[in-house]
Amino acid sequence: MKRTGGERIIFWALPAVAVIWIVAFFLFPGFLPPMSPEWSAQRVAAFYADHTSRIRYSMILFNWFCVALIPILMLIVERMRGMAHRTPILRYCVIGVAGAAPIAFLTATIFWLLAAFRPHRAPALTQLYNDLGWITFTCGVPFLVALCLFLTVAIYLDGQARPVFAQWVGHFNFMIAIALMPAGFAGLTLSGPFAWNGFLSFWVKNLAIAVWLVVMAVVLGQSIGRDRLAEQISA
Amino acid sequence: MRRPALLDDPKRELWLAWYATIAFYTLYTVVFFIITRTQPPGKAWYTPTQVVGWFASRHEGLLIGFGLIFILGGLSATSISLITYSIRRMSVSRVFAYSYLIIYAVSAVPGFLFICVAMTVGAFRPGRDPEILRWIYDLGFLSFSGTMGVFLIGSLIWMVAILLDKNRVFPAWFGYLNLCNALTEVVVAPSWIFHTGVFAWNGVIAWWINVVVFGLYTGAFIFLLRNMILREDFGTGPLPDLLPPEGRGRMLAEFMSP
Repeated sequence: MKRTGGERIIFWALPAVAVIWIVAFFLFPGFLPPMSPEWSAQRVAAFYADHTSRIRYSMILFNWFCVALIPILMLIVERMRGMAHRTPILRYCVIGVAGAAPIAFLTATIFWLLAAFRPHRAPALTQLYNDLGWITFTCGVPFLVALCLFLTVAIYLDGQARPVFAQWVGHFNFMIAIALMPAGFAGLTLSGPFAWNGFLSFWVKNLAIAVWLVVMAVVLGQSIGRDRLAEQISA
Repeated sequence: MRRPALLDDPKRELWLAWYATIAFYTLYTVVFFIITRTQPPGKAWYTPTQVVGWFASRHEGLLIGFGLIFILGGLSATSISLITYSIRRMSVSRVFAYSYLIIYAVSAVPGFLFICVAMTVGAFRPGRDPEILRWIYDLGFLSFSGTMGVFLIGSLIWMVAILLDKNRVFPAWFGYLNLCNALTEVVVAPSWIFHTGVFAWNGVIAWWINVVVFGLYTGAFIFLLRNMILREDFGTGPLPDLLPPEGRGRMLAEFMSP
């Protein structure tokens, strides 16, 4: 099998994984609408007691499949070999954040699962796990921000006549990096657009991640297709 | 000859990563020492009530400072990449380079994300039970000081690579400085046990001596990475010596002429 054959298997696994991510997102009762950080400890504890099963199942799904982002990022890293760079530095940068990005989210699922494991413990402790889960989930964007910035630079420096990714993909990654940034300040307030359930920290951030996945999947698919064509011609 | 604009420089990626490294360590120092005042660390022997006071006295600082790390902390990958590149430039197996890259990349979560999360969770809901707040405080400081294996194994990997290298990428003395850095992780282990004294996480050995060694080590490798970039000839043999500035321009001109 050609090199791109295996890559196409990983690439076409992405839609299946995306379906699981979407299902898990809707299954978790704390996302639609997002739980408020203003809830009292008693209300948080009652939430975990009332929705124990859905919290567990959704977070087990996320825990299983969030790491599926890593092979997708490695497909991008492989495309980066074709960029007009003098050194592998930017590939190392992307590899350097590719692991930590989903692992930060995996850590959040562990806190949510812990809260649901014994929902009848002291409400202040359930609230603590809930806070740890939400802050890790919301603020845990440094690796995603860096990923987008590294891709921006990599694409801008790919000055070939036929670059691996078009210039606009670089602009796009830069805008996504900007969109992810407000979430880093979610700890500053319990209400408003910056709060973990707010317009910027929840909706803009998570929509940015979703849009990034769709757009990068499309340009990645086109790029793999070009490589495959080149392989067929040279064969 | 004047150095060409950065974007036409064949070493542009190396320089970008190097300047990003400077930016990251500057941000890191400003956030930990000035904005959040989490370095020097809070006392390991604080009572729950004192921990409440500790959080109260730096409420905004913790949330704003760690917010900055949440946004830009991923830039730490630039120094890891440059060091990985430096090991690839050596006459040693790629095993060393990839080991270094993966050890440092994965350790970012326990090594710095945890303290940011813990201190943010501690600061953003001030009314919490003091005992629970101290649990968060311990999580923050101990995950930060107590994520030890990264620097221990990572520094030893880098040390062995430097000492085996025939390409003279780094001087041997820096190889041995890696050993000093690795030893700081050995002497910090008792901070998991002691609440007071020199071995506590805020103690003379576990903090003051370690931070000085780490500071010297980091300053040294940033300086040596700059020298490596200046000396880089994109070959596979020994790195040339560092030339005076006018010589560097000439070497670059020769390199760039077809």
